[in-house]
Amino acid sequence: MTHETPKQGWLARLFNPPRGSAPYLFLMPYIVLFLVFGLFPLLFSIYLSFHIWNPIKGLDSMEYTGFENYVLAWGDPVLWKALYNTVWLAITSGLAQHLVAIPTACVLVALGSRLRHWLTSAYFLPYVTSTVAVSLVFFSMYSPNTGIINKLLIALSESDLFGWAFSWVPDVMPLRWLEDTFLVKPAVAFLVFWKYTGFNIVLYTTGLMTIPRDLYEAARVDGASAFRRFWHISLPLLRPFIFFAVTLTIIGNLQLFEEPFILTRGTGGVGHSAETISMYLFRIGWEYLDMGVASAISWMLFILIGILTAIHFKLFGRQGLGEH
Amino acid sequence: MIRKRFLGLTLAAFTALGSAQAGTEIRFDGFPDFDSSLKKILPEFKKVHPDIEVKYLMNNWGDHHNKLTTNLATGSGAGDVVVVDVAKIGAFAQSGGLVDLSTTFNAGQYKDQFPAYAWAQGQDTSGHQFGMPVDLGPGVMYYRNDIAEQMGVNINDVIKSWDSYIEYGKKLKEKNIYLIASAADVAEAILTTTVEEGNGIFFDADGKPLLTSPRFIRAFETAKKIRDLGLDARVSAWTNEWYEGFKSGSVATQLSGAWLLGHLKNWIAPQTAGKWRVSNLPDGIYGSWGGSFLAIPKQSAHKKEAWELIKFMTLNQDIQKLAFRTIAAFPANVNTYDDPMFDEPIEFLGGQKARRLFAEIAAKVKPVKPAKGDHIARSIVMDNALMEVLDNGRDIREALEEAERLLKRRLRTL
Amino acid sequence: MRNRIEALSPYVVRAMMIVLMGLLIISALMTVFPFFWSAILSTHSRETIFSTDITLMPGDALAANYAKLLEIMPFWQAMFNSFYVAFLGTTVSLLFCSMGGYAFAVYRFKGKNLLFGVLVGSMMVPPVLSLIPYYLTVKFLGLMDTHVAVWLPFTATPFCIFLVRQYVVASIPRELLESARMDGAGEFTTYWKIALPLMKPVLATVAIVQFVFFWNNFLSPLVVLNSTENYVITLALRSVQNLPNTPWGAVMLGTTISMLPILLFYSVSSKQIISGMTSGAVKG
Repeated sequence: MTHETPKQGWLARLFNPPRGSAPYLFLMPYIVLFLVFGLFPLLFSIYLSFHIWNPIKGLDSMEYTGFENYVLAWGDPVLWKALYNTVWLAITSGLAQHLVAIPTACVLVALGSRLRHWLTSAYFLPYVTSTVAVSLVFFSMYSPNTGIINKLLIALSESDLFGWAFSWVPDVMPLRWLEDTFLVKPAVAFLVFWKYTGFNIVLYTTGLMTIPRDLYEAARVDGASAFRRFWHISLPLLRPFIFFAVTLTIIGNLQLFEEPFILTRGTGGVGHSAETISMYLFRIGWEYLDMGVASAISWMLFILIGILTAIHFKLFGRQGLGEH
Repeated sequence: MIRKRFLGLTLAAFTALGSAQAGTEIRFDGFPDFDSSLKKILPEFKKVHPDIEVKYLMNNWGDHHNKLTTNLATGSGAGDVVVVDVAKIGAFAQSGGLVDLSTTFNAGQYKDQFPAYAWAQGQDTSGHQFGMPVDLGPGVMYYRNDIAEQMGVNINDVIKSWDSYIEYGKKLKEKNIYLIASAADVAEAILTTTVEEGNGIFFDADGKPLLTSPRFIRAFETAKKIRDLGLDARVSAWTNEWYEGFKSGSVATQLSGAWLLGHLKNWIAPQTAGKWRVSNLPDGIYGSWGGSFLAIPKQSAHKKEAWELIKFMTLNQDIQKLAFRTIAAFPANVNTYDDPMFDEPIEFLGGQKARRLFAEIAAKVKPVKPAKGDHIARSIVMDNALMEVLDNGRDIREALEEAERLLKRRLRTL
Repeated sequence: MRNRIEALSPYVVRAMMIVLMGLLIISALMTVFPFFWSAILSTHSRETIFSTDITLMPGDALAANYAKLLEIMPFWQAMFNSFYVAFLGTTVSLLFCSMGGYAFAVYRFKGKNLLFGVLVGSMMVPPVLSLIPYYLTVKFLGLMDTHVAVWLPFTATPFCIFLVRQYVVASIPRELLESARMDGAGEFTTYWKIALPLMKPVLATVAIVQFVFFWNNFLSPLVVLNSTENYVITLALRSVQNLPNTPWGAVMLGTTISMLPILLFYSVSSKQIISGMTSGAVKG
């Protein structure tokens, strides 16, 4: 780099700015795009949450109503049910994702490169599979009389080897995975798990790339077992990525929308048994055409996510953000 | 190859633009299968109105209505002619975002050309017309004639009342055949077809919800009875098991619109040709399943041309029949019903003159006054309360009372 | 626990490895199954797709489905549009996100915490409600019915900036950047010539995430794109779906084909992720 002599002119100054203004220049695209496309929706929805607005009546039909939308949303029993569902789904599918993804990523990294490549590609596939295909396939898999899941359970109950463990199966058949208020949440959680675990594996694989190889080599020379290397090297050094992925999962899972929407065909399930907050606010805004309450709910959800993320940052942020 | 094709299409787009400058270009926003019928209709339209160029934009049912909501919200971007489904027309007619066809184009003069009920569906609460009916879904009962014969029943006895319908179901059950795919259809049929004089489906004339009225209780009780007796297959529409029921004959009847016929014949169960028949709905009721309307958003810059296209598609009998032949959209214009085509025997239905029946039913459906909160009430009652009663064993009155409470909370934005 | 594991004989370890491999492969098959099935379904007609017997054998309707697909939508043009949008969007994202993440990781500056708070906070806004204001913004900028409106707003995503920041913090030693500056390299040069090459693995991840996002995004194209010629592939495939009458064979074929570019892209990028490790570019 030494041969580059500093040039004069605005272009050079832009490309090699003084140290003080460099971060701002680097962040300029984000700041500009945020101001143009991000800030306005934010302000718009704050404004909206204090107004009554039926969108199809046009922008000038908004009516100021103070905190009424928030009060109305707070007293809505369905919202509380949706909150419970959301948290249930977030925890179940979120925990499962990470508990599976971290060890899997470690094992994959240790594998030979060809096999690893094929396996990671396979695990990543659900993340890119289009919603249409997913909904078609999962619908028929969960189908009560003809679905592959129920057929498998029946086959297990009839087999000699596992029959004893599945003797309860014939009594409860057909299991209506998507209509039963107890089964629908696990059914949704499984789809979420199926879809995002591979994505987390890829994230963690990226993270494992930051761990210098010689650390492992040194540990191996010292005679540390695979488990020990995982526990004492991989896990601590993965921390920024675990922190990041968990942050994402908190935010993403609490905004869960698409998977329950597909599996319940937008109804939210019998007795709102799989309706999430995002689904509910979509329904209120776009179907009931009450954008005011929908905005209020979205801000309540925002605050909830904010609180949980803040706790997460407080507890793990020091190591997770790796501040020097 | 892709590149070449892309270039070709761009060129085509440019030439289209060039020729459009001679006249006015308008856009038609809808959902499939309107594109299939427009492909046939637009060349005809061009002959009558060479100065109007029509483009169309299709999105799926849900996307189309969400896009239209965005367009009306922001006052821009909507097509000049938009399709609105019957499930959404209530809300959109009240919105103020559509052109009042009564005052602007004196649409009232065409009232007699449409069934009274469809005409009323396109109105707001004060009786102004916002949507012109373009197709209908007269409600019928499809039934397996071979099964009825095998059971030794006359279908007219079966549809006499809901009780006789249920009796038939009990007999079927002994042979392991289901009466109907989902009991929910029965509840919906009773709710929407037995509306008291002066009331709307979900609200009375003053806008008070009727969710706990005897009609709702009766509808829910009848459906629950069917479910509790195990007479329905507990299968929801448009699933593999639903299609399978039609194919295998494990389900003996289905309440639906006239449009289902084409799908049964073409792809759901073509191998059952000759086994199906249609009849009136049970209990002497007349109702409809589905239907679409054409409307003009106020933001349109070419309202006059848009109206010409709407008139062409709804008033022109040849075009209405053309759409019927192309995509089996049952004509909304009653003048077409004189056509001999309506007396043609339908082979799939064993030679039954079903279209005549559809037309008769369309004329007999009672008009129901639309109310502002219909779209919300429908979702709360049909998607939530009814399913809780049927699938979750919830007490009927309790479920309806809660539904009414939830509905009341939602009514203030209307 | 630890001691016990260490005490295990090599045979037990080998047996465990085999079980582990088996599990990995079975789970891989499970994740691949829906994709594989949609490929199978694309060779079937609508009648056989909806039969209750699960068909795992290819059907004979491939040609008919392809013909139908081309008839109902400008398929290859929509594919081209999607490719164009996803490619431009991803390329620009790589630049913007690496710059943003780098800035957060390397510099101390006034307002850093505030900006970072805004960054994380803006991830939390539920996207369902931004549709109308997004539309208003696009209209205000005069970008209606253009592809720019579909990719540009999403090129500096908080997610990717955050991810790059985490990677840089964890893997690029400050001393390396300092020494470059000592040698007289400017700020941008340091970023471009020293830091960027070291970010390869994370940039590959960013590229995958962004490419998938742009490819699968349909809500913003739905409200912004007003002509069929401009439709992206998700929109084109959704636009022919109608509950009673979807030509499912053709739709499944289109869906399957439309996933191939993502897979190809993934395959190329994931090699980049791995290459970061083998090249030994990253030092502790």
